[in-house]
Amino acid sequence: MYSLLLVFILPALGVPFVYLAGKKSSRAAAFLVALIAIANMALLFTTVPEILNSPTHEYIEPYEWINILQSDFTLFVDGISVSLAIITTLLIVVAAIFSVNYMEGKKNLPVYYSLLTLLSLGLVGVFITSNLLLFYFCWELMLVPAYFIIGNWGYRDSYRAAFKFFIFTHAGAVFVLLGIGAIYMVTGTTNMFDAQAALVQNVPGVVPWILISLTAGFAVKMAVVPVHMWLPDAHSEAPSPMSALLSGVIISAGAYAILRLSLGAILPAVMDPSFGSFGMDFMHGLAVFGVLSAFFGSLIALVETDIKRIIAYSSIAHMGYVMFGLSLFPTSTVAGVITITAAITGTVLHLVNHAVSKGLLFLSAGAIMHQTEIRDIREMGGLAGKMPFTAVASFTSALSIAGTPPFACFISEFLIFVGAFEVIQNDGFFLWPTAFMLIATVISLAYSLRYLSYVFLGKAKPEGEKKIVDVPIYMKVAMGVLVVFVIVLGFWPTFFVDLINTVQFL
Amino acid sequence: MVEILDVALPIVSLVSFSVLTIPVFSAIRKTQHRNAMAVAWFLTAFIVSGAAVANLTLQYYSLASSPSALPFLNIPLADTTTPEYASGFLIDGISIYMAIMFIAVSAVVLVYSVFYVDSSKRPSERYFAIMLLLTAALMGAVFAGDLLTLFIFWEAAAAGSSFLMIYKKDPVSLNSTLKYLVMIIIASAFIVFGLSIVYGLTGSLNFWAVRDALMALGDKNLLVIAFIMIATGYAIEAAIVPFHFWLPDAYTAAPSSSAAFLSALIDQGSYYVLIRVLVYILTPPSAGNPGVLNWTFMLAVMAALTMIVGNLFALIQDNVKRLIANICVADVGYNLIGITSVTALGITGNLYFFLMGGITTALSFMAVGLIGRYGFRTLKDYSGLGRKMPFVSLALVIAGLSFAGVPPLGGFMAKYLVFTAAIQADISWLAVVGVLTSVLQVAYLLRLVNYMYARNPEDETAIKEPKRMLIPIFILVAAIIVLGAYPQIVFNLIDPVVNQLHQLLHIL
Repeated sequence: MYSLLLVFILPALGVPFVYLAGKKSSRAAAFLVALIAIANMALLFTTVPEILNSPTHEYIEPYEWINILQSDFTLFVDGISVSLAIITTLLIVVAAIFSVNYMEGKKNLPVYYSLLTLLSLGLVGVFITSNLLLFYFCWELMLVPAYFIIGNWGYRDSYRAAFKFFIFTHAGAVFVLLGIGAIYMVTGTTNMFDAQAALVQNVPGVVPWILISLTAGFAVKMAVVPVHMWLPDAHSEAPSPMSALLSGVIISAGAYAILRLSLGAILPAVMDPSFGSFGMDFMHGLAVFGVLSAFFGSLIALVETDIKRIIAYSSIAHMGYVMFGLSLFPTSTVAGVITITAAITGTVLHLVNHAVSKGLLFLSAGAIMHQTEIRDIREMGGLAGKMPFTAVASFTSALSIAGTPPFACFISEFLIFVGAFEVIQNDGFFLWPTAFMLIATVISLAYSLRYLSYVFLGKAKPEGEKKIVDVPIYMKVAMGVLVVFVIVLGFWPTFFVDLINTVQFL
Repeated sequence: MVEILDVALPIVSLVSFSVLTIPVFSAIRKTQHRNAMAVAWFLTAFIVSGAAVANLTLQYYSLASSPSALPFLNIPLADTTTPEYASGFLIDGISIYMAIMFIAVSAVVLVYSVFYVDSSKRPSERYFAIMLLLTAALMGAVFAGDLLTLFIFWEAAAAGSSFLMIYKKDPVSLNSTLKYLVMIIIASAFIVFGLSIVYGLTGSLNFWAVRDALMALGDKNLLVIAFIMIATGYAIEAAIVPFHFWLPDAYTAAPSSSAAFLSALIDQGSYYVLIRVLVYILTPPSAGNPGVLNWTFMLAVMAALTMIVGNLFALIQDNVKRLIANICVADVGYNLIGITSVTALGITGNLYFFLMGGITTALSFMAVGLIGRYGFRTLKDYSGLGRKMPFVSLALVIAGLSFAGVPPLGGFMAKYLVFTAAIQADISWLAVVGVLTSVLQVAYLLRLVNYMYARNPEDETAIKEPKRMLIPIFILVAAIIVLGAYPQIVFNLIDPVVNQLHQLLHIL
């Protein structure tokens, strides 16, 4: 039917209505944004039965678009992309509801909510297409609304952070475009599955360059060390609902793109014997960058004192986990099919869990800043008694981020390590990276506990003129939804695991 | 059957409306609703001439049984026994496409001009009359069937546009108009000299007769000289580096409505002339086609230079209007990529770039003109403008992002097409230069956006933006977004052109 097309059209048509609603009352605009996202989520859920039951485990809607470039408007979801798209819509709903109280009293709110709607179009669009050109459209569509939201409603020198974000990710996108153009040149198609088939059948010598170009471009958005520099500024200066989206979805989109395009579509061709051991070296390189990011992010988070920068650096660390998980992507085919392994299931599940947990952590940090108007965690303390609800949300999310059972991130990190041990049996190289990743997990527990104890435990600092109270109702609702998800996903990840496990590469 | 009247009707109707504009304005100047009446008058003019173009389009397309079998239609002006040697009109896919585009864009720009140039002032009616006349001349140029007719109509448009530049009559505009006129006259001299050599070589000026004769030509030394003359002449008029220096001066000194008209119509007209002469007549050799002359490498070098110089000069500009004028120069370079890579994709990209580039530059000049009315000119003046004039700032930002090639705006698809075409035609280095200069564009356009939104204005008072001027501006904004996200609308018009060219050149 037209489910996915509607997912595309609803936010696009919604923008002017959100603006008009915002002119009447900004609360109405927030609810309209949430409503559109909920409708999108429902539409995405209608594709789930098809994915689970059809023999190919995918759901496709083909439309015509630009004939001269052989570029169609193919909308496509499979288990991985629908999981990430659903989580994206969830975070948009939560961000919109959270904004009701959080953004109260700020200027130009109708524009803010319109930009949020536009952003949601790009965010969801990236996950639901198999056409490279359309993918690139959505990829860049994230950029402009995000730039203005960070710049206009952020903290301190926010436009500088937004500028850095734009230039870094756009420069990355140029590499992506170069890769896409090269794929079109050598295969004559912009459909990623046709391109994959064509590349495997007739391997051109340029393929390793395409792989490097695409991966480098995506890695910028994913903010892996050494191209992470935009992330701490952008995440910490953005308004908190936007930080939640940036950390939860935008950087996950980078990881998804590496999985889907670099590894899923290009890697099989690169494993061709004519390139020697290039493919394996590339995967080892990914693992090294993953370990570097995990260590770098965790260590800085351990010493940082700004409440949002701690969380931002923890995002870099977690993208390190994801990059490490991606490097475990199976390099050999079994009967012409790449079957999904525990490591890849774990990686995608980690994207889902990290999105929910980190979204919640950013929202609760935003709640703390909103109520106390301080950012330095050394000036906080004893907030658990004054803001019990926020404390519960923060403990849930920070412990999940630290990988403590029974919260969400535990299960996915566990799966990644299980997958790593599977791979070590064939490729001894991964022994040391895996060992280092385990050590990084300990550091992540350390910074989470430090964060929690500085902010919530200990003796309360003397209060200023303003009395600190717990957050208003809509912030509670937003955080409550995510708390439920963090706990439920920790106990019962089956829904997403089943979906992800249906995917077959190649 | 397409009669000569069908072809002449759009031109004649525009000319007659132009002539009638002066008495009409003297009648309505005193009345209260003069702006509304002026808009109504011009819309009538464009509806009538648009209907004439529509009639011609329908007549022409009904000639062919299928869109891929469109004829090149020669319509001689005089009844002679050898029609291919007489001067006359030529109707084919590209001329129809250009005519439609000119009518549409010209209408929007003229409506804007009515509000921009105070129509109660004395010489304003001449200004509008000249705009209509120039549109008519451009129409004639795209319908021209031989080099002489093309020369006459195109020079009328190019030289006539100096009247639009000089409207303000201050020393700066006099100076830059004089510079422009001198350049145009030198260019005409070059072209006439080249044309006379071509006539000497072939004994004809008709496009197809010239082409056939040149194909059979054995010794090409004289042809190379003729080509250099003609190419230099048209390169001056299209502002290709190193002949570009008149353009930033002229566009900056001209009123913004003139700059919008010049960049959207005259500029695109000059690209059309380049395509017609270089691709259709002096066809470069390609697989299965001996061609007339191999000029692609020379033009590729010029394209690269134009992109680099235009963007570097834009980078150091402090005056926003001048910055956009320099982007116009850079745009010439991007257009040349498409012409240089003589492929179906390149020509499609070109024709699409004509439209989107024209709309985008017109839009930004219109926005800058509206902002300039309140005395804001330099980047520093633009500080905090996003808060003071939200709507026109939004339009300028969208134009800037389209220039920079951010999807889903039109500029992205245009650049993507020409870059892909360059790679297809085996001149990848040109595509690389294009991509790198595009990144440069992002940097300086984002700097403009940064000034508009990140900085604090000197005084916070909001300015009430005139709604009437926002209407034409936002029509163009909508066009950039819709045609950028769904370019197939334009490609449906371009496809027959490319098919026709394919038959002619046996290109890919």
